[in-house]
Amino acid sequence: MKLIIIDFGSGNLKSVENAFKNCVYTNKLKFTIKVTNKLDLISKADHLVLPGVGSFPDCKKGLQKISGLIDLLTDEVINKKKKFLGICVGMQLMANYSREKKLTSGFGWLCGNFKKIKTNGLDYLGRNYKIPHMGWNNLQIQNKNHPILDNITGNEQYYFVHSYALDNAKTNQIIAYTIYNQKIPAIIGKDNYVGVQFHPEKSGNSGQKFIYNWLKWIP
Amino acid sequence: MLTTRVIACLDVHNGRTVKGINFINLKDAGDPVEQAKEYSALGADEICFLDISATYEKRNTMFDVISKTAESCFVPLTVGGGVKNLQDFRDLLNSGADKVSINSSAVYNPKIIKDSSEKFGNQCVVLAIDAVENKSFPSGYEVTTHGGRKKTNIDALKWAKQGVRNGAGEILLTSMNSDGTKKGYNLKLTKLISENVAVPVIASGGAGGPKDMVEVVLKAGASAVLAASIFHYGIHSIHSVKKEMSENGILTRDCDN
Repeated sequence: MKLIIIDFGSGNLKSVENAFKNCVYTNKLKFTIKVTNKLDLISKADHLVLPGVGSFPDCKKGLQKISGLIDLLTDEVINKKKKFLGICVGMQLMANYSREKKLTSGFGWLCGNFKKIKTNGLDYLGRNYKIPHMGWNNLQIQNKNHPILDNITGNEQYYFVHSYALDNAKTNQIIAYTIYNQKIPAIIGKDNYVGVQFHPEKSGNSGQKFIYNWLKWIP
Repeated sequence: MLTTRVIACLDVHNGRTVKGINFINLKDAGDPVEQAKEYSALGADEICFLDISATYEKRNTMFDVISKTAESCFVPLTVGGGVKNLQDFRDLLNSGADKVSINSSAVYNPKIIKDSSEKFGNQCVVLAIDAVENKSFPSGYEVTTHGGRKKTNIDALKWAKQGVRNGAGEILLTSMNSDGTKKGYNLKLTKLISENVAVPVIASGGAGGPKDMVEVVLKAGASAVLAASIFHYGIHSIHSVKKEMSENGILTRDCDN
């Protein structure tokens, strides 16, 4: 199987590549992993991963700079049903739009838009809510039967770092939430595409478990 | 719910971990890559490398340390020390760092906070503040550089607020008065900064044991706790810190996840 991690100049590609390679290696899976922005390689791939760190508008701009990439992604994922994983801003881009800095449209594959996380009130220890929501948080699983959640329980922790959260999502497109002052969609998806607000590549063994499930998943 | 992070910090000099108080009498203490792996396996929620190499050439060894660590350590990795410009940021991130901490360079060139956060996102810009008590400043604390040796004439609270306004996504706050004492974090300083900025604040400097970690979270509102020497010397383990924290009602990540 050919897996492509899409390179549009966004930060932590190396971490994503390392984590996927480690998962493939330890579980003896038959995948080749390549980081690229070449459209021909993307169209020949079996699975696609879109990582993204930084701001929503910057990531969108980065994608737009590679001529034809967004159209190709939509064709591969929506029409050709290629398996897809969006990570952090890569996940946010799957929705309709974000209000980060300015209103910027996403791919529109999933319902909803991104709004700043609320910081009113105090947490369980009386501390102010800080933005970004940064650190390890657990999941509230909605769709227990989804194969990408195999062996993953609500006790497992994932590493989050983001300031905007999905709003107006369709309930049946939310696979798991996390809680930080509000319910935040942590895993969203439909058919052959899934997005995660957290960073599986930075989430230790729990992250490796998630990556393994996603790699094995046959939509 | 969000757990409180326990961060293990390693001082790296010419590609080797070193131990020593205030960067004096440095002793070789092993391979940072192996130690980072071990900390990660023992449940550290984040690893922080502080490069204290004196020269630029020696600093290049750090890229190798980072890339080797990032190949097998799947927790967030923060790297700081000697970061001067956007190219340094890019080089560190490309090697596998997730966040870059800036200290002196931000003091001498405040624009770097804005430039780096615009370029790479505020999630990866950590403003490290080394504060010393000084009653002539409004907050009672002055920002210092060079391990506390150089004064800057900048008020610590004002600097923290300004840094966040310019895009820092997190503050790594070290009390230079407490650093190395093992008598506990500076609660007053941590509370002051933590209550007045919107981003997470990491408490650093002075950890002597698990009880200090509990105290700085409960009494000063720290978002995360960082320690170096108590973990190096094996005085306390990450596990014992997290155990004490959870016994005091602070949520932590299970060490074996």
